[in-house]
Amino acid sequence: MNRLDGLPTCRIDSSRKIEFSWQNRRFTGVAGDTVATALYAGGVRIFSRSLKYHRPRGLYSLDGESSNTCVGIDGIPNVSAENTVLKEGMQVRAQNVMGTPRLDLMGFLDKLDWAMPAGFYYRTMHRPAAVWPIALKQVRKMAGLGKISPDFQMPGRFDEIYPTADVCVIGGGPAGLSAALAAAGTGLRVIVMESRPWLGGFFDFRVCEYRPGLPLYERAAELAAQVEKAANIQVFKNTAMVGAYSNNLITAFQKGEADDPFDERYIEVRAKSVVVATGCMERPLLFENNERPGVMQAACAHRLAHTYGLVAGQKAVFSIGHDLGIEAAIDLFDLGLEVSCVADIRKEGQDRELVEKLAERGIDFLPGWTAVDCSGKTVKSARLCNLDTYVQEQFECDLLVASAGMTPVTGPLCLAQAKMAYDAHTGYFLPRQLPARVHACGRLLGLNDAAAIEVSGQVAGYSATLDCGVSVEEGLRQAREKLDSLAGPAKGCDLVMAPVKGRKAFICFDEDTTVKNIKQTLAMGFDATELIKRFSAAGTGPAQGAIPGHNLALFVARYHGRSSAITQPTTVRDPLVPVHIATYAGAYHDMCKRTPMHDAQKTAGGIMQRIGVWKRARYFSSDTACTAEIENVRNNVGMLDATTLGKFRIWGPDAVKALQRVYISDMSKIREGRIKYSAMCNEDGCIIDDGVVVKRGENDYYFTTSTARAGQTVEWFRYHSRYDNWDFNMVNLTDAYGVINLAGPNARKVLEKLTEADITNSAFAYGGFCEFKIKNTIPVRAMRLGFVGELSFELHVPSSYMQSLWAMLEEAGRPFNIQPFGLEAQNVLRMEKGHLIIGSESEQRTTLNDVGLSFLWDRSKSKAGTVGAVALMHTEKQEGRLKLVGFKMDNAQRAPRDGSIVVDQNVCGHVCIARYSTTLKEVIGMALVKDHLAGEGAQLDIYEDECNGQLMHAHVVKMPFYDVKGERLSM
Amino acid sequence: MALTLTCPICGERNGYEFRYGGEDKGPRPRAEDPAPGHWCEYVHMSPCVAGIRKEWWYHKDGCGVWFTTERDTTTSLEVKQPEKTR
Ligand SMILES: [Zn+2]
Repeated sequence: MNRLDGLPTCRIDSSRKIEFSWQNRRFTGVAGDTVATALYAGGVRIFSRSLKYHRPRGLYSLDGESSNTCVGIDGIPNVSAENTVLKEGMQVRAQNVMGTPRLDLMGFLDKLDWAMPAGFYYRTMHRPAAVWPIALKQVRKMAGLGKISPDFQMPGRFDEIYPTADVCVIGGGPAGLSAALAAAGTGLRVIVMESRPWLGGFFDFRVCEYRPGLPLYERAAELAAQVEKAANIQVFKNTAMVGAYSNNLITAFQKGEADDPFDERYIEVRAKSVVVATGCMERPLLFENNERPGVMQAACAHRLAHTYGLVAGQKAVFSIGHDLGIEAAIDLFDLGLEVSCVADIRKEGQDRELVEKLAERGIDFLPGWTAVDCSGKTVKSARLCNLDTYVQEQFECDLLVASAGMTPVTGPLCLAQAKMAYDAHTGYFLPRQLPARVHACGRLLGLNDAAAIEVSGQVAGYSATLDCGVSVEEGLRQAREKLDSLAGPAKGCDLVMAPVKGRKAFICFDEDTTVKNIKQTLAMGFDATELIKRFSAAGTGPAQGAIPGHNLALFVARYHGRSSAITQPTTVRDPLVPVHIATYAGAYHDMCKRTPMHDAQKTAGGIMQRIGVWKRARYFSSDTACTAEIENVRNNVGMLDATTLGKFRIWGPDAVKALQRVYISDMSKIREGRIKYSAMCNEDGCIIDDGVVVKRGENDYYFTTSTARAGQTVEWFRYHSRYDNWDFNMVNLTDAYGVINLAGPNARKVLEKLTEADITNSAFAYGGFCEFKIKNTIPVRAMRLGFVGELSFELHVPSSYMQSLWAMLEEAGRPFNIQPFGLEAQNVLRMEKGHLIIGSESEQRTTLNDVGLSFLWDRSKSKAGTVGAVALMHTEKQEGRLKLVGFKMDNAQRAPRDGSIVVDQNVCGHVCIARYSTTLKEVIGMALVKDHLAGEGAQLDIYEDECNGQLMHAHVVKMPFYDVKGERLSM
Repeated sequence: MALTLTCPICGERNGYEFRYGGEDKGPRPRAEDPAPGHWCEYVHMSPCVAGIRKEWWYHKDGCGVWFTTERDTTTSLEVKQPEKTR
């Protein structure tokens, strides 16, 4: 198809070709095309088949008002071809088609419409109930939009941004741009969103005059240039507003252009004030076969020519109900389209000049006429009818431009909770009551006059400015006065229909709902529009109410014989425009933390895994049983990066009070130089954390928490003292300090080489805390702990020294063949010792008593004053609780998987951890089991996933499994 | 998130930055041996009345203060500037 070249309104560059495929055939479009216009240019008239009746569907609008042009693009179904800018190499496929769009094997369904009345699925497929699952599959095969492979991986780059603005303007047409300029002129920060790839709205493609010598499209360019030039206006093009929430939160999504670093991105704008300037779309004309390919809206035909250089057909019939339709006919005639006639629903009230122009061109003008039917798979002829005499006349044509009137795009206003009401003069739903800090302007208010549209934008812009606390009362007053002097809303066109049954007159294209279906629904007693929508499905498709919204309400009111029946448009919901879930998900920011020893551990062969927010070394060889790592700690010396431990300083006059509140033990008696091990419970007595506390000075403490709790500890302390006004400070040192656990019988020999401090067992015994320097430089906070059950020194040093210390320990330990060990080795080592990890050996319901740590609870402390103590007291004697036990497997060869359940007749608990112990040469583990199984010697029957009923057996034993007397860690 | 809250230190911020800390139910009961029911009542039960509630919020992605503010639970809008906690 040849493009009109040289039109000043064109948005295409016909010299730049873009290759793509349609149904596996090669097509060529041009830069600036949408997928829909490129296909249309390539001669495609049937884009898809309809949901229920498999009727052929074609290009009807250009802004995605229906699912007619939903296609599959690069494997993604239900993409609106109208809203998708063509890109090189796109693979476009028709959907809901068996065979080809032109010859669809399911096309016979169109003849069976009599068998599928309104509410067909609701009424037929539920009895007997067993029918439904089978019917569902068949229905899904025949009806439904698009297909997606279960293995489909969403391609593309997604992003998200959260800008703030003083004023957010939705709609980049003349009203929106005027509003933006008014607000930005006072210095406010303004955001403008426009769903098309350019600004200008409905001025953009029109050649008639704004004022003598200045056509509308040039006026649009003027406004756009001013907006683009303003430093305080941020313009988002290709951006569809999809949601509005309280506090003026506006969500939208933007499609990326070729040089954008994203394909789609989610935008969440918080604005002090919002201006909605979304303008109008067209209200479809109802007649038989009103959705045949070849029938299109006036602006669609008009913009195809002026924006994309495509004359939509050879010979056209116009059946319209507004002056824009006449304007389109004249313009298109001038561009070479043969126009048989222009039928206008209105008997009078047309713009005289336009009617004269029709006469000048010799185009038949038929006021008081409308289309009743058209024939052909794609339009071959149209039948028109006089609305008074019912005289009919047939016209050969391949294009039927049909449009009953205009309808404001009220979706954004409705989402913002504006109250809408029917206005008899314009025939529109107009905002009657706007929420605070939301304004509407332009065609949305029924305005038609170009100047009035712009001035109403200024009024909205100034009103929004006032919301932001900037005084523009004078400007607002002047703009209002000017608006009053300009033309107000024009008289709209009522719902007019030719005398037809409506069996093939579609009120909703997406859901294949006909006028007849609506009549059936009404006859069944559904009277409210909202219920009719539910039952007939009109307006429940991807485009929501875009096609049926206005007509449905008008039709229902006419049926009831009173316009008062029109109250509210049917509800629209966010997202207003279909959005990929991937777009909502945004960019996948897999953020994690590394310890200062990350690289050193990798060099040493560490296999790093994501654990919580950290990347940590899980293994140091491919042996996931970690035999060598474990043996090295038990018999020699190893080192572990324990930096991820939560580390905190708490100080101030009331620091002890805060510690007393959250720890279960008596924290008032911590001796300097000694470590206090304790735990925190929640108010239910359930254990949430354990760690050690040391005293570094008067009212000055340093403590550790488990890795998982590091992020919430300050919050926890502050929450539980929120009523107390205690004077204490806390600082989270987790990232400021690194920790190396030097463990094994040779640990002291290694450390002695690096410090002159006395670290002999008598000076620095198990449970001790001391501070010294390594190589006279690195300040160390050292703790004698024994988590892995061997002599060990936990060395806390500033993060900046960690790499050096790691290297020094490697160096000093070389004569002993020191080796790093990872988390899995530590996991087995501590299990052998019966030490637990909160979250592994406990769950949400596990109390301090349940895990055998009740000795930590100081009962002499105030129970009411200690978080969890009251609940511990209440649950202490409770029966049926899950208790932590140690067990040995009867069969020493295989460990059940962590999380396997313990059963008798019922589920009695689960395995927390079970491993083959290299040290003990048997399989041991810990489990949380019902109290009747918690006694020593009790048999545990373990059900592992996929065990086919073959239970594994174990017996409860006392813990610890290893070094019962605790001699090794106090060496 | 549509909700915004006014932190007494940082000012009005996006609701994403805060964690809910429950309705304001007053300080912990002082009784050393409360009945389990009474204790549960304090720990877990809230009136949850539709309307304006005084609530605790934590500015987790900000300054780390716990503060109270009044929010209308029917609109999820903050109704006035919160009082200072310290
Ligand atoms: Zn704050």
